[in-house]
Amino acid sequence: MGDSISWGAFFEDALFSAMAAIGFSSISHTPRRAYILCAVAAAAGHSLRFLLTLPGGVEMNIIVAATIAAFVVGTISVMLAKVIKVPAEACLFPALLPMIPGLYACRTFEGFVGCLSDLQEAAFEHNLYLFMSNGMTCVAIVIGMTVGANIPIFIMKKISFQVTR
Amino acid sequence: MNTTIDTDLDGRAPLPAEGGPEALGCFLADFSSWLLGCGATCVRIDKNVGRIAMSYGYDADVAVMPRHVSVHLSGPGGYAKTFTRRMAGSGINFEINTDLSALSWTIRDCRLPLQEAEARFRSIVGRKYVDNFHILWLTALANASFCRLFGGDAAAMAAVFFATAAGYFFKQRCLRRRMDIRVVFFFCAFISASLASGCGLFGWGTTPGVAVATSVLYLIPGVPYINAASDMLARHYLCSFSRFVDAVVLTASLSLGMWASILLENVSF
Repeated sequence: MGDSISWGAFFEDALFSAMAAIGFSSISHTPRRAYILCAVAAAAGHSLRFLLTLPGGVEMNIIVAATIAAFVVGTISVMLAKVIKVPAEACLFPALLPMIPGLYACRTFEGFVGCLSDLQEAAFEHNLYLFMSNGMTCVAIVIGMTVGANIPIFIMKKISFQVTR
Repeated sequence: MNTTIDTDLDGRAPLPAEGGPEALGCFLADFSSWLLGCGATCVRIDKNVGRIAMSYGYDADVAVMPRHVSVHLSGPGGYAKTFTRRMAGSGINFEINTDLSALSWTIRDCRLPLQEAEARFRSIVGRKYVDNFHILWLTALANASFCRLFGGDAAAMAAVFFATAAGYFFKQRCLRRRMDIRVVFFFCAFISASLASGCGLFGWGTTPGVAVATSVLYLIPGVPYINAASDMLARHYLCSFSRFVDAVVLTASLSLGMWASILLENVSF
């Protein structure tokens, strides 16, 4: 596996996901002291998903990979949220946002609009396929990510709900 | 939903609620309304409200509706009353979420009188959150990074940066004038996608499709999607469903804006 990985691409993935997480933190008015934590958690999670789905490597299904990566993001967020005294969700959610399947969501609506705009049987079936496959993948990824991210919150309940104390 | 109180008062007597249970109930209803509005999960609203009520010797049950929240307060002498508030329209704000959670602990640990708690609450929710310049450029940078993560080249990243900045600037101005958020999302997506399609129209770079597709991703309501799934896991199905539908409607609005731009400019995607 090591030979097939481009470590440059791996670190680039981590860097840009960290930058995306900081930007999304600012939109959600996350306390500024949490920006770095969001960046670290996002970089760890997104680059792990990158490794798990890499062609020639583990080649894991994206839904499973996103769930595992979200679990790692959740664990980091809960552990470090205690240090900066912010709720775990305040770090966790912006850190997960780079993994939100936005393109799948947009392509779902592309299929939907296609279904309505072209009623020829072959085109309609193709657009319906786009709508269903992208929509199902999108929903499954979001649910998988949320389950993965929430497991650490529920396992470490005492830490999760007392960090602002 | 029945509030699960996970704390005790360490053997101390509960604080007297100045102004009586009516004042406490109104405070808790306002508190819940702001927590819901700023994007807290139902579990956190439950815990925070239950913690405050218990500090004053009462029990609280919270019911979260799609646009309202009800707090049922019960306590000594058979007192029982329900207080309902409309959801505060603060938008997603983790700073308010953090400070209100911290306030609930301060009330419990430092035994804050109700008037003092109310004053601190008003000061937290009364802060002005101006969408300033640093949020604008951080958002543009985040979306340009997104473009790179999806395989966009430098030209696509630059186009997405400026397209996002323009779209987000428009969003700030429109939301300040209290325009309907669905209409705002439609036009923001239209503006961003139209500007990003410059890559394809003028032959900049080799990934014009990635630029158009990622130019609208800053509008994807990610936090409501995650909140919806979190509430579902905690079996708050009603709130989960309403948050999910809100997020789907916004996603549909931005998708329509993007597709209107693509159809108008006839750009291949």
